[in-house]
Amino acid sequence: MTEILKVMNVTKNFGGLTAVDSVSFSINEGETLGLMGPNGAGKTTLVNMICGSYGVDSGKIEFMGKDITNLPPWKRCKLGISRTYQIPRPFPELTTLSSVVVSALCGKDRPNRSFEDAATEATHYLEFAGLFSKRNILARDLTLFEMRGLELARALATGPKLIFIDEVMAGLNPVEAEKAVRLIERAKDQFGVTVLWIEHVMAVLMRAAGRVIVLHYGEKIAEGPPEEIANNPAVIESYLGETKNA
Amino acid sequence: MELEVKRDRLVFRARGNKWEWGIEPRYWRNPAIYVGLLIVAPVVVYFVYPSLLATVIEANLLAAIAIPLALMSVGTGRMNFGPQFYIGIGGYIAALLSIHYGLSPGLTLLAAAVGGLVCGILMSPLSILSGGLYYTLLTLLFPLLFLEITFIYTDIFKGDVGLFGVAPLVTGFAFSVNQLIYAFASLAIMLIYLYIIDKTLRSRYAVEMAAINDDEEVANGIGVNVNKIKMVSFAVASMMIAIIGWFYAHYYGTFAGITFLPLAFMLKILMVIMIGGRIQIYGNVIGGYFIAFLELILILTMGDMSPVLFPVILLVLLLTLREGLFGLYRKRHYREYMPTLHVRR
Repeated sequence: MTEILKVMNVTKNFGGLTAVDSVSFSINEGETLGLMGPNGAGKTTLVNMICGSYGVDSGKIEFMGKDITNLPPWKRCKLGISRTYQIPRPFPELTTLSSVVVSALCGKDRPNRSFEDAATEATHYLEFAGLFSKRNILARDLTLFEMRGLELARALATGPKLIFIDEVMAGLNPVEAEKAVRLIERAKDQFGVTVLWIEHVMAVLMRAAGRVIVLHYGEKIAEGPPEEIANNPAVIESYLGETKNA
Repeated sequence: MELEVKRDRLVFRARGNKWEWGIEPRYWRNPAIYVGLLIVAPVVVYFVYPSLLATVIEANLLAAIAIPLALMSVGTGRMNFGPQFYIGIGGYIAALLSIHYGLSPGLTLLAAAVGGLVCGILMSPLSILSGGLYYTLLTLLFPLLFLEITFIYTDIFKGDVGLFGVAPLVTGFAFSVNQLIYAFASLAIMLIYLYIIDKTLRSRYAVEMAAINDDEEVANGIGVNVNKIKMVSFAVASMMIAIIGWFYAHYYGTFAGITFLPLAFMLKILMVIMIGGRIQIYGNVIGGYFIAFLELILILTMGDMSPVLFPVILLVLLLTLREGLFGLYRKRHYREYMPTLHVRR
């Protein structure tokens, strides 16, 4: 399998705090990679660096063999990197359809794309996310689950090769969470995207991810298949705290 | 010839031909009706009360400033509190070139537009580097700084006396006819701005701008080149406002920074936006006329108190109509948020 993303020794400091400390990993095309770790482990910071929201203090990021370390976010998006947010960030004053139209217009370069073409494609992604009937509703009026669907539709409409899913389960009830997981799995199959899935919920990654990386205090402490990660003493310790033997 | 009024339409018959106009409320929103009214208004004023033509011109110019300001606001996602800076740039360029080099209004128009555009390009990084209160304060500061410069370099800008002797746009007619021509010229500028910006706000760039308005970071993450859109909308709007400065210089035949650069003038523009609604270009036309005539009424009735009453009215508007008059309409028709997309299966 070809490597789609290669992260090499990336570090990010916020003042005196090192949020991500020399983390390296790679993702293969078509893979679902899980990224987990306790609160404040640096998961979202890492994704922000890969997507370009944060600059990198040291290290290098390559996407499809191209150095993207210093590219602005919109250029990375055009290359095929897209994401959803942990706390949904819809465009509150735009309708659901318009929100996805922006992605279809501005994402991957598509020659001779008209506004109407983008609108038609956007409806396709809205249908996929089950939001077609809500296309003329303002994004701010959607429920949390619908907002997550909108974020996924918006991310897919950019025509990504690699998509970052940031804690999709947060705030959803079990039924909605199950629906969300199935939606992402379907997106992966239908659109052939590679997924980097950030998640707290171990069970989800056990089911969906082929490989898992664990961060703790900004450092990578483990990497491997989910079953191996679940039994890794360092991972258990990072989640449950230090074990003291009498 | 026969005119028949039916419940939903007017039917006009002449020489075997028949024309119909729908008069249901849903047809009243046709911009052609309002453009027609705006074109007829100066002619009516000319015959009824020609002195009011100056107020009509002022109304058109206020609207013509507020309309590009709406483009700037939506494109940068920030409210510029110093659009009069560009009026000063355009006005001074036109006045200086006309007085010292004898350039015709056509050439000074070109120079003012280029000057406004260059200034806009130079200032546009402000919209990228600063946001919120800092952007507001910085933009508020520039016209005041420019005003200070006009006082420091009195030999060039002639301080509070201003530059006089600018070639007029129209000559050779009676005063009231000149005023009528100026009224149509100002209306033409305003309508051209309205048309260009209306087209822009219905294009693909509008959704990109709207996305920037809502969440810059997310917009950037889905492929919107935020910096480019901000710079272009800032620079183009600056150029459009500078052209209004050019018009003021040639209309009055004189240009003084003290008339346009202080906060009092900004207050008027702000009130136009408050009445019309932020980023509501059609509302700005209503706002322009409302404020121009309100100012006239206040001067006639309140005299010296009118400058005090203006801010008071602004405060009341800020408290009662946060989204302007058009905002009330938009609240009821939110699906028409620009641009309207209708996709059917």
